Amino acid sequence: MFRVHAGLPGRALPEEAEVTEEEPDWQTVKSELLEGVLKRGAMVARVGDPDLLADVAPGQRPSDLLPQVKSMIVLGGSAPRVGEWNSPRAEVLETVGTSDRMAAIGSALARQIEERLGYYAMNVPTSTDQDDKPFLDFTAAAVAAGAGSPSLAGPVLHPEHGFVYLTVILTSLPLPFDGPIEQPACPAPSCVEMYDQRGVTPCTDVCNIDDGGCLGGQIQDGLVIGRRYDANRCRDRVYHYWVPGYQAVLEKVLSEPDVERRKMMLYGSYFTRTMWSITYSNVSQGQCFECMRVCPVGAENRMLK
Amino acid sequence: MDEQTADELEATTLALKQLGLNSGATVVGVAAASAFNEYVPEGHRPSDFMPGAKSVVVAGSLGPSNAAWQSPNRRLMEITGYDFRENVASLVMAEHIETVHGYQAMQAPALPTSGQHPPMSMMLAAVLAGLGTRSIAANIILHPTYGLLYYAAAITTMPLVPDHQLEDNVCPARSCVKMYELEGKTPCMAVCPADDGGCIDATIDDGEITSSYFNRERCSTRAMNFGIRGHIKQVELLTAADDIDEAKAVLYSDDFRRNLSSVGRYKESVAQCFECMRVCPVGRYRRKLK
Repeated sequence: MFRVHAGLPGRALPEEAEVTEEEPDWQTVKSELLEGVLKRGAMVARVGDPDLLADVAPGQRPSDLLPQVKSMIVLGGSAPRVGEWNSPRAEVLETVGTSDRMAAIGSALARQIEERLGYYAMNVPTSTDQDDKPFLDFTAAAVAAGAGSPSLAGPVLHPEHGFVYLTVILTSLPLPFDGPIEQPACPAPSCVEMYDQRGVTPCTDVCNIDDGGCLGGQIQDGLVIGRRYDANRCRDRVYHYWVPGYQAVLEKVLSEPDVERRKMMLYGSYFTRTMWSITYSNVSQGQCFECMRVCPVGAENRMLK
Repeated sequence: MDEQTADELEATTLALKQLGLNSGATVVGVAAASAFNEYVPEGHRPSDFMPGAKSVVVAGSLGPSNAAWQSPNRRLMEITGYDFRENVASLVMAEHIETVHGYQAMQAPALPTSGQHPPMSMMLAAVLAGLGTRSIAANIILHPTYGLLYYAAAITTMPLVPDHQLEDNVCPARSCVKMYELEGKTPCMAVCPADDGGCIDATIDDGEITSSYFNRERCSTRAMNFGIRGHIKQVELLTAADDIDEAKAVLYSDDFRRNLSSVGRYKESVAQCFECMRVCPVGRYRRKLK
């Protein structure tokens, strides 16, 4: 039987071969895909059940983005390098960022699944949808796949690597699930010990919500309860540059009646740096990192000779 | 630089194309640099950017993933972009030409530097390299197999074997001709009709496009809701605001943040409308997966 191409009247494609489809070994397919992304630079590669996100806010569930979704592949990696963590200059971590690498690996994997295996796959955009909401609850996806667990500090922590940037690929490939990890990475035993002695953990100590910081919470029976997090304050601190910095300067410029002072603000180094960080956004993804700097999870990976 | 026989030139051209495909391009074609002279004025020809240019190597790659096309959340397609693999492929091929073959090569300038016209048209490059033809839908170049592709090119002084332009126009597709005969419009004209607030109009006679109309200004305000154009629009609102509270309402809105975010992460917001391509039958069967 010939299939006539819609775009070229009269042009026929080669006769379609008769294909007998056998059920692939999905475990092998999964292993090959995940080994590939680990070679390309991901440090964590896990598969989660999208149905575990059935209770997240409507519009942020995997099936809201891809109705055919059968699995969620969650990749993590590209945290700052050891040298950057150890730099005595805070400006290094303020301006450096490597998260784009995860998006590139995620896009490549989605392409690979579509072009080589013939299943739908999308790398979920990390930017926000309306009302500043993410397209997908990345934390819930990471937890469902076992790429880490939520932390008192906020970011998902992988038990071995600690803080990692995440990317999520939704696919119609029916891959076997890894599932959530059994032992949460946070609080670490040393944090529980510190909390028992002083009532704070390293992260709530370095950025205490009751003392002008962003984080608070209690630990009971080794579990985090009553977490407190001032998202707006954190955003102000984490994003000195980039979009919030740009907005802050523009607000001041628009309220400034003196033209010379306006020019000082617009042509000043701060505004220039802010514009750099927007256009070269790869170099300003984090900027604060203080709660992660003191976090013991994955700390051994931040130490080298 | 070496003198090559016709067979060697053919083999070199094929090897270069394969390199482009291996570097991420979905399709690669070659146009003779002189072929542009017939279609564009001085200042927009390959030899204007590289004296002695002989060939233009054109790489095309797919835009959003097939899954993104399937998403019921239209905003995802507005935000989602693609990975610019055609740019990577054209850069890799240019570097290969310079380092391996010893000829000059550079990426062709495609972004406007003055006015709205690009220094060199990637659409024309794709047509001359035999990769597609202009369509009714916003003049987008349609590849016969893949439909919408994004294009980049490398200009080089290296002689290569050029491809022929396609003999048949990809647009209108047969089903579109049939629809036009029945209803007086094609799927793209129906979804975005120029006479009803849209951007597209055309006439078809005997299966060929006899006239086409595309309202680029209207299309660009729809297709580019976020990013640079959206931001410029908001700066205009800010400078016209009566008081700082009015300005702050714009400045701290989610829309303002999204605009700047898409300026920064440009690859996440390259297109944004896609409706004329969503209904286009060319290449649509390739967007159906398991």
